[in-house]
Amino acid sequence: MTVFKTFLKVLNKCKVTVILYTAILIFFGIFNMQTSDTNMNFVASKPDVLIINQDKEEGITENLIKYIKENSNIIEIQNNEQAINDALFYRDVNYIIYIPENYREDFLNGKNPEIEIKSTGDYQASLAEMMLERYIKVANTYQKNINSEEEMLNKINDTLSKQIEVEITSKLDVDNLSNATFYFNFANYSILAGCVYVICLILSSFKEQNVAKRTIISSTNYKKYNRILLLSNALFACCLWIFYVLLSFVLVGEIMFTSHGLIYILNSFVFTMCAVTIAFLIGNLINNKNAINGIVNVIALGSSFLCGSFVSMELLPDSVLKIAHVLPSYYYISSNEMIKELEVINFETLKPIITNMGIIVVFLILFIVITNVITKKKRRIG
Amino acid sequence: MLFHNFKYFLKTLFGNKMLIFWTFAFPIILGTFFKMAFSNIESSETLDIINIAIIENEDFKNNEIFTETFKTLGDEKNEDRLFNIKYTTEEDARDLLENDEIDGFMILIEKEPKVVFKESGINQTIFKYVIEEITGTSNIINNLAENEIKKEMMSGNYNVDYEKIYKKIIDVAQNQEVKIKDVSSNNLSYTMIEFYTLIAMACLYGGILGMVAINQNLANMSNNGKRISIAPTSKGKIILSSIFASYITQLIGVLLLFLYTIFVLKVDYGTNLPLIVLLAMAGSFAGLSMGVAIATLLKANENLKTGIVISVTMLGCFLSGMMGITMKYIIDKNVPIINKINPASMITDGFYSLYYYDTLDRYYFNVVSLLVFAFIMIAISIIQLRKQKYEKL
Repeated sequence: MTVFKTFLKVLNKCKVTVILYTAILIFFGIFNMQTSDTNMNFVASKPDVLIINQDKEEGITENLIKYIKENSNIIEIQNNEQAINDALFYRDVNYIIYIPENYREDFLNGKNPEIEIKSTGDYQASLAEMMLERYIKVANTYQKNINSEEEMLNKINDTLSKQIEVEITSKLDVDNLSNATFYFNFANYSILAGCVYVICLILSSFKEQNVAKRTIISSTNYKKYNRILLLSNALFACCLWIFYVLLSFVLVGEIMFTSHGLIYILNSFVFTMCAVTIAFLIGNLINNKNAINGIVNVIALGSSFLCGSFVSMELLPDSVLKIAHVLPSYYYISSNEMIKELEVINFETLKPIITNMGIIVVFLILFIVITNVITKKKRRIG
Repeated sequence: MLFHNFKYFLKTLFGNKMLIFWTFAFPIILGTFFKMAFSNIESSETLDIINIAIIENEDFKNNEIFTETFKTLGDEKNEDRLFNIKYTTEEDARDLLENDEIDGFMILIEKEPKVVFKESGINQTIFKYVIEEITGTSNIINNLAENEIKKEMMSGNYNVDYEKIYKKIIDVAQNQEVKIKDVSSNNLSYTMIEFYTLIAMACLYGGILGMVAINQNLANMSNNGKRISIAPTSKGKIILSSIFASYITQLIGVLLLFLYTIFVLKVDYGTNLPLIVLLAMAGSFAGLSMGVAIATLLKANENLKTGIVISVTMLGCFLSGMMGITMKYIIDKNVPIINKINPASMITDGFYSLYYYDTLDRYYFNVVSLLVFAFIMIAISIIQLRKQKYEKL
C-alpha cells in the first residue's frame, strides 16, 4: 500500500504530459477521419482538377469543361500563377488544364490545338489525363467526319455517356473500418509515449538514492516490491487504455460496437500491457530524469514510424518492415490492418490475429524477465 | 576577455549531454525516421500496373476489339502497359478477387461488358474507364458508319462497301493524335517539405543554446551569473561572446544535419549552395535570438524555459508542415499571417522556394523576414537586459 500511495503522488505530477499525448491523438484522429456515408455501390474516384480557360466558354470548349467537371472535383484557386503552383505542389489539385485561346475555332478548323497541362504525376493525375485524352480522341474522330458543331457535340456526349455495369462484392463498411484502424494505429504512439514517460518518471522517483536505500533494507522482498510497482503501473496503463477506448467510441463511432470493434479493443489491450513492460524495463535501465524525454521520443516515435503507425504499412519500404519485425508495435499494427480486411469472423480468419497477440505476449514475458534480471543485479549500491 | 569567455563557454556547451542530444542528435534521428517512413510514399502514388482478370468465354474470344485492346494493354513488351491480365474462368476470378490478387475482373456477355470489384478505388476506376473507352470506340464506329452509309445512300450509291467504310472509320478512331504538353516543374517531391521542417526545427532548437548563454550570465539564474555580475568587466562583451559561442555550436549542429540529409538521406535542396547556406545561417540566427528573448523575458527556472523553447519550436514546425505537409498549405492559403510571423515556416518556405521556384523573390522575402524577426527579438532582449537589477537574490 505504501508503494501504491507513493505511486499515485508521483503520477499526479505528470498529468500535463499525458494530456498532451492524448490531445495529439484526438487532434490527428479528427484530422484524418474520412467522413462518408456507408456506401455499397461503386463510387468512381475523382481527381482534383483545375481548369484555366483562356478561350470563350461556348461550343466545344464549354462541352469539354462540362465533361471534366462531371468526372472530377473542380478546385477553385485564385488565378495567380504562384497560388496555382503551390496548390499543385501540396497536392491540393492533381491536374491543371490550360485551355488555350481560340481553342474552339482551331479545333473546328481541324488544327488539333495543343493543350498545356501541369500534373503531379500520381494516380489521380494519370486518371485525369486519361479522361482528357479520351475526350480529345473522341472529339477529334467526330470532327473529321461531322461538320455541324451541334451534331458533333451530341455524338460526343452520346459516346462518352456510355456506362458499364459494375458489381461490388465486399459487404464491408470500408471507410469506417479504415477510420478505426487509423485511430488504433495512431494510438500506438500515444500509448507507448504515455506509458513510457509516466512509468519512467515514477520509477526514477523511486530510485532516488535515499528512497532506494530505504527500500532495499526494508523487509519487503525485491520480487514483491517489483510486482506491486508493476501492478500499479499496469493499473495506470489500464486507465489510460479505457480512456482511449472510450475516446474511440466518440471519434470512430458505430463501428466500435460491432465484433470488429471488440477485436480492435482487445488487440489494443494486449499491446497496452506490453507497453507497460517496455516502460518498466526502460525505467529500470535509466537513472537520469533528464534523459527520459529524449528516450520517450526516440522509442515512441521510432516504433511508430518504423511500424506504420503514422504512415500506412503498405507504403513503407520492405526493408523497413523487416526491421520492424523485432518491435511489438509491428504485430499490434499488422493486426489492426488485418481487422480492417476481415469479412467473416471465425476461428480460421482470426488465427493470424491471435498469433500476433501471442507474439506480443511473448514480448511482454521477455521484458518482465529481463527487468527482473537487471533489477536483481542493480540492487547493489556501491 | 572576449576570447577567454568564448572558449570556456564553448567547452561548457559541448559538455552538456542533454543540449547536445536535442540540438545535434535528435534532428538526425528524426530525419532517419522520416526517410524510412516516407521514402516509398511518392513512388507508390504513381500509376502502377494493375492486376486484373478477364473471363475467357466465347463472347470475349469472338470480340475482336476487346481481345486486341487487352492484348496490347497487357503486353509485357509494351511501354505503356497498364494491366497484368489473367485469362480465367469466373469461379477462379472470384477467388482471386477474394484473395486480393486482382483489383477486379471483366466478364463480357454478348456485347455488354460487366466488371466485378471488391470495393471502390482508383485502380477500379481506371479499369472501368478503359473498358468504357473500348465500348465508346465501338459506339463511335457504329455512329459514324451509320452516317457514312446514309451519305452514300443519299448520293445514290446503293452498292455500299460496308467493309471499306468500317475499316476507314476504325482507322480514324484509333489513330487520333492527342496533343498534350506537360509544363509542370520537375521538382514536385512534396516529402522534401518534411526535411525542410526538420532543418527549421534544428535551427530553432538552437534557441536552447541561446537560452543557456543568457542563463549563464544572469545573476538570478546561476552562480556563474552572480559571479559575472559582480566582476568588473563589460557585461555586453561577455554576453556577446557567450551568444557567439552558442551560434557557432548551433551552426556546427545544422551543418552536421545538412551533411547527413544530403549525403545519407539524399534530400534535394536545389542547386544554389550559397543561398542554402545563407538561409541556414539566417534561420539559425532567428532561432538563437528567439531563445535569447525567451530567456530574458521570462522569470522562470531553466527547465520551464527549455520547455517553452521546445514547445514554441514544435508548434512552429507543426504549422509549417512537419506533422502533415498539408498543414502548411492550409495555413498559407487561409491565414497567411500566421506563417508570415512563424520563423519555422519562413525557413521551410525559403527552402521550398529554392527547390520549386525558378525565381528568387519569395526566397529573399523569407530571408529578410527571418532577419527582421531576429532583430526584433534581439532588440527586445537588449531593452530587457539593460533593465536587470536585483535588490536581493
